[in-house]
Amino acid sequence: MMLLAKAALGLGGTLVLAGAYTFHEGVIRIDVDEYRGSGSHVHLWVPAAVVPMAMHFVPQKHFRRASEHAREFIPLVHAILKELKRYPETDFVEVKDDRQHVQVRTHQGKLQIDVDSPDENVHLLIPLSTLNDVGDQLETNAPGA
Amino acid sequence: MINEPTYGPNWKHVRIALLGASAALFIPGLVLAQATTAPASSSQTTASASKSTSGDRWLHVRVINTDNKGETVRVNVPLELAEKVLPAVNHDRLHHGKVTIDHAHMDDVDLHAILDAVHSSKDGEYVTVQGTENDVRVAKENNHLIIHVVQKGSSKKCQVEIKVPMKVVDALFSAGKDELDLVAALHALSGQGDTELVSVKDSENTVKVWLDSKNVSD
Repeated sequence: MMLLAKAALGLGGTLVLAGAYTFHEGVIRIDVDEYRGSGSHVHLWVPAAVVPMAMHFVPQKHFRRASEHAREFIPLVHAILKELKRYPETDFVEVKDDRQHVQVRTHQGKLQIDVDSPDENVHLLIPLSTLNDVGDQLETNAPGA
Repeated sequence: MINEPTYGPNWKHVRIALLGASAALFIPGLVLAQATTAPASSSQTTASASKSTSGDRWLHVRVINTDNKGETVRVNVPLELAEKVLPAVNHDRLHHGKVTIDHAHMDDVDLHAILDAVHSSKDGEYVTVQGTENDVRVAKENNHLIIHVVQKGSSKKCQVEIKVPMKVVDALFSAGKDELDLVAALHALSGQGDTELVSVKDSENTVKVWLDSKNVSD
């Protein structure tokens, strides 16, 4: 029984560590609801720490292709993301009228984009550190890097 | 007499360990769930956003449309962010933070000569046009270039007021004959005090561009 207790304790500890690591960078949240006939409804909660790990399993050719497409914008995105980290609590853009509300802001170190309109509701919440990791990966795999 | 099984306390330990593990596993989730709750209300936004990084200068743009849609646009940009990001934009006429001016529109006008003339002149009104359609006033006051335009004619009355520090104008034209240096202008702007730069008012729209140290619009 003592052995079982030790095993359970080890398993529990591992779970705690894994859980703490998985969630230490926060959660990526993507909610998309399109109010059309065949509109899509996407609700995704992913631990942010999973993204850099998952990127290691993406075949290089896919990364290279993505980098080629985004080549023009990579320096811009990189510059913005680098600077955004300095403004973790800021409302950057807000557009509001009687039908829709669009907001781009940083909140608790995450980029938050909210669109509420009669046609669709989109809510994105992505840790800035995760965006930086993705930007770094694209930059690393860019042609000529 | 039946003795109590000796493994009793061990099971207790296992239960405690498992309970502890599950609690610890879910606590980060709970904390994160709180952190990632859906869009914050505007009051929360204001409360959190008022904590501005000290020393930062912010450029604000606010557009209020008073027609039946009631559209409002608010943009808040830290000048430092704009200064760092602009050089990374290379599109059309904007390269490395500089905008190329079209030659066709500049051949007959020597902007630098005009700028020098304005610089060396004393404060005063340079241009005053009063017509039936428009009133235009260009002046220099306290090292600020001031342009006022009032559109009087027809049904759409409009009033435009632009007030730009001369240092910013200098920086804007510092790049060369055919270029406007936006980054230099932003840098010069960051050294200015709180000021309203542009105000446009007509029957339907109010546009205001101003500079201050707050990271929220009023």
